[in-house]
Parts: sequence; C-alpha cells; structure tokens
Amino acid sequence: MTILAEINVEAVVIFAIVVSITLGITYWASKRMTGAETFWAAGRSITGAQNGLAISGDYLSAASFLGIAGLIFLYGFDGFLYSVGFLVAFLTVMFLLAERMRNAGKYTIADVLSFRLRERPARTAAAIGTLAVVAFYLIAQMVGAGVLIQALVGIDFSVSVLLTGAFMLCYVIFGGMLATTWVQIVKAVLLMTGIAVMSVFVLERVGFNPIELFNRAEEQKGDGDFTLAPGGLYSNPIDTLSLGLALVLGTAGLPHILMRFFTVPDAKAARKSVVWAMFLIGFFYLLTTFIGFGARAILGPGGVEAAGKGGNLAAPTLAAELGGGEGTFGGDLFLALIAGIAFATILAVVAGLVLSASGAVAHDVWSNVIRKGRDSEHEEVYVARIAAASIGGIAILIAIIGGEGLNVSFMVGLAFAVAASANFPALVMAFFWPRFNTAGAVTGVLFGVISAIFLVVMSPGVWPGPDSEGSPIGWELANPGIVSIPLGFIGCWLGTVLSSERGAERTYHELYVRSETGLGAEKAHAIH
Amino acid sequence: MAAHTGRTGEPDVLDRPIDWERAERSPEFQELVTAKRRFVIPATVFFLAWYLGFILLAGYASDFMGESVYEGLTVGYCLALTQFVMVLVLGLWYMRKADNEFDPLAERAAARALETAEEAERGPARFSTTGETQTGRDVTATTPEDRS
Repeated sequence: MTILAEINVEAVVIFAIVVSITLGITYWASKRMTGAETFWAAGRSITGAQNGLAISGDYLSAASFLGIAGLIFLYGFDGFLYSVGFLVAFLTVMFLLAERMRNAGKYTIADVLSFRLRERPARTAAAIGTLAVVAFYLIAQMVGAGVLIQALVGIDFSVSVLLTGAFMLCYVIFGGMLATTWVQIVKAVLLMTGIAVMSVFVLERVGFNPIELFNRAEEQKGDGDFTLAPGGLYSNPIDTLSLGLALVLGTAGLPHILMRFFTVPDAKAARKSVVWAMFLIGFFYLLTTFIGFGARAILGPGGVEAAGKGGNLAAPTLAAELGGGEGTFGGDLFLALIAGIAFATILAVVAGLVLSASGAVAHDVWSNVIRKGRDSEHEEVYVARIAAASIGGIAILIAIIGGEGLNVSFMVGLAFAVAASANFPALVMAFFWPRFNTAGAVTGVLFGVISAIFLVVMSPGVWPGPDSEGSPIGWELANPGIVSIPLGFIGCWLGTVLSSERGAERTYHELYVRSETGLGAEKAHAIH
Repeated sequence: MAAHTGRTGEPDVLDRPIDWERAERSPEFQELVTAKRRFVIPATVFFLAWYLGFILLAGYASDFMGESVYEGLTVGYCLALTQFVMVLVLGLWYMRKADNEFDPLAERAAARALETAEEAERGPARFSTTGETQTGRDVTATTPEDRS
C-alpha cells in the first residue's frame, strides 16, 4: 500500500492483456492435448532455443526480479551475490545433469532414480523431495504475488492470491506443458525487454557511465546497511559460503527446471537450451546491477520506506520514478508495465512448479506406487489434473492463511536448500556411483529434507524480535546448505553401505551407457 | 528391466537384449567417456574453485573486495563480472566440444552397443547368410572385450 491506495487503472489494463495472451495460449495448447507425453513433456517437440527461453521464464522468479533488486538496493554488494550464484548454477546443470536427464528420464526426477532402484520406495522418496521443494517455492511465489498485486494494483491480498492461483491452475490443467512452456516464453521476452528498458533509463540518468552509477549509489548510502563492499547482508563468512553452495547446487535439484529437459527432442537440444538459458539469464542478472544500484542511486535512503519489507518494491518504485514520478502519467504507466511484467513472471514460475508437482503425484505416486503401472495413460493425466488442482488449492490456502507475514526470500532459500540437499545428492549418486542402492536414496532424501527444514526453522531469522533469545539451539546461520548438503550425501552413502541390497549395481551399467549415449531415450512426437 | 519405459504402450526401442556391461567396456564407449571426462572434470573443478574462491573472498576479505579499482568500481564487482564471463565461455566451449567431438563418439558407442544386442539374438554359433552382418561380426570379433 506504500505506492497506491486505490485501484490503478493502467495496471489493471496491463494485467488484463497479460491474462488474455496467456489464456489464449492455453486454449491453443488444450486443442493439442493428446496424453501424458503432451501433458508433461509437450510431446518433446520444443526446440533448444525455445526451451532456453522457457528455462529463463521458469527460473527467473519474482524473487530474482523484485527480490534481488531489493536486496541490492538495501544491502549493496551482498545482494549481487545472489545474481552470481543463480547464474553459475547453470554450469552444474550443464556438466552434470541436463543431457543425462534427457537421455535417461521420462517426466520426473523419480524416473531416473527408479531406473536403478526398487521402484516404489525410490519413487516415493523422489516425490517427497520434489513436493518439499515445490511446496516452499510455490507458497513463496503465491505470497509474493499477493503482496505485489495488493501494493501495485490495489486489489486485496487474498483476492490477489486467489486470482493468481486460478490462472496458474488454468494453464496447467487445460494446457499442460505446452501451455506452460509458451507462457514461460512470453514471460521471458516481457521480462528481458522490461529490465533492458529500465536499465537504459537508469543509465541515461548517469550519462551512460556505469561507474558513475556506483559513485552515486555510494553517495546515497545513508545510515542503512548499503555498501559497495561485501558484508551488508551477511556478516558471518560461513553464512555467505553456505548460501553460495545452496545456490550453485540447488538449481540442479529443482524439479521444475529439470523437467524442462524432457520437453526437447534429444540431448543435443537439451545442451543447446542450457547455453541459451545461460545467455538470457546472464543478461538478466547482469542488468540487476542497474536496477539494484540504480534504485539506490536514484531513490536514495528516502526510498527505503517505499521499497517495503525486504526491498521487494524497490524495482517498481524505481520504475515510477524513472517514468516521471508517482502520480504523473509516465510514472504510473511505467509502474503498471513493471507490475504487469512481475505478474507474468510469477504466473510462469508457479505454473511450472505445479506441473512438476503433478508429475510427482500422478506419474510417480499414483501410477507407479499405488497402481503399480496398471492404470491407463488417460487415467494418469486425469489424476495429474486432480493433483494439480489439489496442490494449487493447498498452496493458495496456505498463502492466504499465512498471509503477508510469510517471508518470501526465506521460503525461496528453503526451497533451494532442500533441492541441493535432497534431490541433487540422490541424482548425482544414481548417475555416478555404481554401488548406490534404494536404501541409500531413501536415507539421502530424508536426511537432506529433514536437516534443511530443521536448520531453517532453527535459524535466527525465524526467531526474531527483541524478546527472543534467538535460535533455541544456538544455531547462527541463516542458510543451512553447508551442513544439510553434506548430510544429504552422507545419507546416500550411509544408507547404501548399511543395507545388504546389491542388485542396483547391475542396472548402473545400463543407466551409465544410456545416459551417455542416448540409447533408448524417449522419442520426440510432433504436435499438430 | 527399465520399468519406466514399459507402460505407455509404445514399443521400447531396446526390446533387443543389449549387453550393457559389454557395451560399457567397448573401446567406443570408453573413448567417449574418456574424452568427456578430460573436459568436464577440469572444467567443473575450475568453475567450482573460481566461484567458491569468490564467495570465500566475499566472506573473509570484505575490505579487499570493497577496495576501489576506479572510483566506485570495486574489486568485488570486477570479480563478480569474471564469473559471468566464465559461465559464458565454459558454456560455449562445452557446446562446441560436445557438438564436434562428443556427439560423434556417442553415436559410435551407441551403434556398438546395438551390435551387442544383435550378437546376443543371433547366438554365437549361428551362421549369417548376409554379407553385411557377417562383416559386422568380423569387426566385433576383433574388439578386445570379446576375448575377455
């Protein structure tokens, strides 16, 4: 409510345009829906370049756009650490997983694990990992959407969450992966254009001299934590390292990102899509410099209040200022455009998340664990739609009940920590350790999920306030990765060596040859 | 085997019984994984070291990272920019290597693995009347894993 008190007409018009385009895409995609492979993998017909755009659209969430801009605005250099970590993470994805996932998988992370391991426990474990990541990420995005729309458009928080959730479910349930992919592509184009235009406006203010931008930001530091040196956000170096680890390894365990590699025809296209994504995402994160430091240079310490909690509204506030100031036509229009882009950003990410969760529930748990593969493909897609609706419904409910009190970046950090500590170790072990077995996968995932959640719940940020004595166990780190990631790997190892199961070694050879050569990989099907 | 490929009703291209262990030992496959390892392991070690070094400097040497290179441009920001350059260079380099070098090797390794299936189907003692498969057997008979 810091920017606008009543309904913003320009913003509503732009939101309506975003919604009509995406619903149009969904209608088009729904006509092409043929079965499970279209629903989860868009018939594996997406090209490398398209998938690169879609990965950017899937990955760059509101936490990246609004969150990082806000963190740089408030803390300076430490905020930019997120930009670097989120980008470098794609090297992990490219070298270790992208092509291997495409070669060996079908729809979900569990497909790769269950290839070598006993199907039911392995799929259950992978589904737990996937659902834990999706739950935290999804709720974070929904709360972010509610806060953003309430502040920028003037619609009540609960109604905003409900609307976002309804559109998200529409794309997924009726349009599946094909609709989700194109919503993500449209969003990526909008987001890249928006941040590029904003950067040019910012640079114009400093005579197109980026160094002058840093000088002005330094002049405007005020009494807050902003600094061009590290240390504004994290004073404990181990915390910085822990965050860095979770970012660079967590991306390779995000189910909605890994799922994107199943949508391309082959491993070569998967590889190409990672390189496209690197360029697009690198371009975006580079420009967060101009938005974040630009917000500091132009808004100054006086903008801290308008930027709101966590600085999430720094970018929209900056947009209004660049357009001519709040209340002017240009200012309101630019603000509305940026708000519309942020809205599209959230929609594309939550759709990808719900789709991957529906895969874990319908493909892994329902088809393969409960029905043991006896169900029809028709039933699988039907269950997937019910699963998507239920998961979406629960997320909407938690977001509304938890309300604005939930800290968005805390939830996203938790999602990355769980992904890096549970999904990533299990996948790496399945691909690279011949001895790895079912007990190892189950122990590893449980160790990773439980330790990451436990350490975040115990972290000082959760126990704030003057009366609080901080963490009940004296835990001082905000980021659990440095402990929970090794614990995930130790769990994989410990479970494996303590169990007598040895059968998985034979299947190692098959997975190894298949993942490296693409033999027997799922084929692409044209969508007409 | 491979429970996850069976249930869509589509024929699995690997219905033929491939001998995966032999395919893995084949010189074609070993050449592929050796070539890949030679690039991917050093590249991974390098990027993790460069990235974690940057993070550790940010944590432990904030004064150094905050030093000015030129006016408001700090050492830390310059090092952050090197991370962007690193990602793009390694990404493009890997793609070139993979397209030109690893993909052809992977194709050969896959073809070799399929041959193991044909041999298993034919059985060792059966004669083939077509010259083409005969040649194929002669080629494979000279590979080291057949003698092992």
